[in-house]
Amino acid sequence: MKKYITSLFLLSFALSFSQSDPINKLDEIVLKGSFSPILNSGYSVQIISDSILNNNYQSLGNLLQNQVNAYLKQNGNGMVSSISLRGTNSSQTGVYWNGIAINSSLNGQTDFNSIAVNSFDEVEIRKGGGSVLLGSGAIGGAINLSDKIVFQNKKEAHINSGLGSYQTFTIQASGLISTDNLFAKVSFGGSRSENDYPYDNSDLFNENGEYKNYNINGVFAFKINDKNRLGFYTSIFDNDRNTSRTITAPSNAKLLNFDSRYLLDWRYLGNRYTSSLKLAYLNESFTYFFDKDLLNTSKSRSSSWVAKYDFTYFLNNEILFNSGIEFENAKADGDNISNVEQNDLTAYILFHHQPISSFRYNLSIRKGISSIYDIPFVYSFDGQYDISKKFTLKAAFSSNYRLPTFNDLYWEPGGNSDLNSEKSNSAEIGFDFVHQFLNLNITSFYIKSKDLIQWQPVSGNIWQPVNIQDVSNYGVEFSSWAQKKFEHHLFLLKVQYDYTMSKDDNLNKQIIYVPNHKGNFILNYQYKKWSLSYNLQYTGEVFTTTSNTQTLNAYWLSNIDISKSFFKNRLQLAFKINNLLDENYQSVAYRPMPNRNYMLNINLKI
Amino acid sequence: MKTLNLAATLLLALVFLNSCSDGDDPKLPLGDYENGYFISNEGPFQNGSGTITFAGDDGIISHNIYKNVNDEDLGNIVNTINFAGDNAYIIVNNSSKIVVANRYTMEKVTVIEGENISQPRRIVINGETGYVSNWGEPGDPSDDFIAVIDLSSNTVTNTIPVGEGPEDMLIENSKLYVNLQGGWNQNNQISIINIFSNTVDITLNIGDVPNSLIADGQGNIWILCEGIPSWTGNETAGTLIKLSNSNDITSFVFDALDHPINLTSESGVMYYNLNGKVYKMNTGSNDLPTEAIDGLDGFYYAMTIHKGEIFATDAGDFSSEGTLKVFNVHSGVLLETITTGIVPGDIVFP
Repeated sequence: MKKYITSLFLLSFALSFSQSDPINKLDEIVLKGSFSPILNSGYSVQIISDSILNNNYQSLGNLLQNQVNAYLKQNGNGMVSSISLRGTNSSQTGVYWNGIAINSSLNGQTDFNSIAVNSFDEVEIRKGGGSVLLGSGAIGGAINLSDKIVFQNKKEAHINSGLGSYQTFTIQASGLISTDNLFAKVSFGGSRSENDYPYDNSDLFNENGEYKNYNINGVFAFKINDKNRLGFYTSIFDNDRNTSRTITAPSNAKLLNFDSRYLLDWRYLGNRYTSSLKLAYLNESFTYFFDKDLLNTSKSRSSSWVAKYDFTYFLNNEILFNSGIEFENAKADGDNISNVEQNDLTAYILFHHQPISSFRYNLSIRKGISSIYDIPFVYSFDGQYDISKKFTLKAAFSSNYRLPTFNDLYWEPGGNSDLNSEKSNSAEIGFDFVHQFLNLNITSFYIKSKDLIQWQPVSGNIWQPVNIQDVSNYGVEFSSWAQKKFEHHLFLLKVQYDYTMSKDDNLNKQIIYVPNHKGNFILNYQYKKWSLSYNLQYTGEVFTTTSNTQTLNAYWLSNIDISKSFFKNRLQLAFKINNLLDENYQSVAYRPMPNRNYMLNINLKI
Repeated sequence: MKTLNLAATLLLALVFLNSCSDGDDPKLPLGDYENGYFISNEGPFQNGSGTITFAGDDGIISHNIYKNVNDEDLGNIVNTINFAGDNAYIIVNNSSKIVVANRYTMEKVTVIEGENISQPRRIVINGETGYVSNWGEPGDPSDDFIAVIDLSSNTVTNTIPVGEGPEDMLIENSKLYVNLQGGWNQNNQISIINIFSNTVDITLNIGDVPNSLIADGQGNIWILCEGIPSWTGNETAGTLIKLSNSNDITSFVFDALDHPINLTSESGVMYYNLNGKVYKMNTGSNDLPTEAIDGLDGFYYAMTIHKGEIFATDAGDFSSEGTLKVFNVHSGVLLETITTGIVPGDIVFP
């Protein structure tokens, strides 16, 4: 329980280190790398801990929608889905796995239904432009999925299983063994569903929506001595989905996608400096069946090697330097891409200064070279000032970029090898207020993006990507969180609201599929072994045509979750009602989402 | 209330009609969409519905007329609309159906669907019979066919297997000419079907990727072939084919990188689109034209000539409303610009 409370505290607000303790700082930097709140003083870094991850979320997308009020766009339940932070598009949200960028090098996106939500320990969400430390794509924000390694004598095993409407089954088993210098964690599982929910007001149902997937994850670590640690991580996800029909069009298509990722990581934590070396191999493949009964497919695959070295040097209690160098070799091949390859080399340096205990700031720059395009020079300036014990002011300004993907560059037909990177500048300012059980944050942001890549029809039926779109995003994010305990009763309340404008500067219209309003309310009540959680989300109207003439209705979604623990918390039973209000809604036009549905979870801890 | 209003309107209409007619031929309007022409809009691919726009002779443009009348979507990718008797036949490609509606009121009559309608593309009409080109499963090159429809019962009475990617069709010389454009691939043939026996008489190799065809009234069929696009790695030039009644072929070959589209004709003059320009060629000419018509420039998604005016659509970014431009073909003057639905793919005059 205590862990839960702590993690919820961490979740809402960035860690703040008012003590300038070098060891603590170094420890945090080596642990969190580029997502470290110290290196991101002016940005908000939220951490979602394992206790929330284990909270019976069906997908990572649902979790982020719920916990950080992200906007989730789903091509139907269980189908390809993407999230958007601050109104940017899905390839402008960087997704990382233990610090390694995993957005597809083919399409630039991460499919949030192709990640096992309960297979890692922590999710870090860093809003705002982050290209200096994180590289291409971190424009609206970045998300890191991380595994925690702790050397302590411990053995643990979990089995989480779920049974839901439309013949949905999920299971995830994990085992952990840890000693003073060895750590091993293995987790595997999968889910499958007929996913054949009926469409409201029609005699149609979600035909051809079946999915099944499995995942295997492992973390193995060896503590060489007090200062050196070696870790090996792997994550494999295999997804087999039919792609469901729409209201107006049947489908017999199918998508197979397979991701495998391997990472070797060496960390050194000294008294004055830390360093980390990461070597990663990432592999992804897609096979699209135009008709699942025929063998006519379109395949593409890519693989990349990444080497990343990061170094932090502590000059004194006030000043530290962080720098890194990153090399990536990526290849792609397929039916519409023929054997392409690229090499990128980038380097960054950050200067952190805390002249007085209540004020700290970072100055940082990044530059890279590539075998195929120009990687722009980017910089960031961010700082944090504790006005009083209750008030903190944060501000940041940065320039950022996103590089074209293999599909943009080489897709046949249309790929345009002359594409440049997308560029953007962003600024934000935020206030944190903490008083007793109440936490408030308000942040306003502005992002100006230029030369965004858009596929446009050229002669005949050929489409080609060009650097053409200019977009302005601005808005206000509000979040508040409170907790109160009366004897055995614990209340947690979280309210979030984002107002987001995302405007195509040439058309002077709102970008399609970006809601102006997104709100979220969570109430959690715990009494002894019982727990009740209620979540209400509002997603505002979105435009579906670039001329802003057609819209998708706003919708309210609510979920309720009741659980009880037995046998000293070794067994937990949870019952969840999704879409309690039975809202008939669509996330993407003409693709209805499920109405009210149910899920029963049984979680065992050995 | 609604009934009352309707009754009042009818009464008024009757009074009005009676008072201004001479009494010998009182003619009630057949519906809101009697006088004018139609634009079929494909709509967004997958996540949406196509629509029909009606441009009335009175200058009034009505959008989304089928849905407004019937309160239901037509379906995904509306390729074209055609007319027979009192009915309009609306081809809904990706929903694999043909929606039949009253041609004057747009009220739904029936839907033709089932296994004998599969990814339909175009429809031509000959008396009481309609012929619909069907791709079948687009990934399967061997299941393409023409569905023969009895227009009095609105049922499929026969299917005629053809080669890959049947698209535009034409009835002339008591034969059905079917362009085998290739669907997702590239084909280079035309099939000629005997409409009495519903069998393929002959399939001829013409030029690569035949996309449109016209009859010149002299017994010849002219077929515009766009050639194979460059991204395939075996690009070929476009050709214009003249096919005589006795199946003699004359080819007019374009320059190597030229891929012409949208052949349309009127009064012995053909028009087509090439590289963002409109060209015209007399059916008696021995050479392809070298000069484009002034004033008509544009990359058009669909183009039709009607009574000396060129009707050409621009699908814009394919994610919002397109436009239709109307030009005087002789002077090149732009007469009118009309906003259409999303991806305006065909302009049809009943």
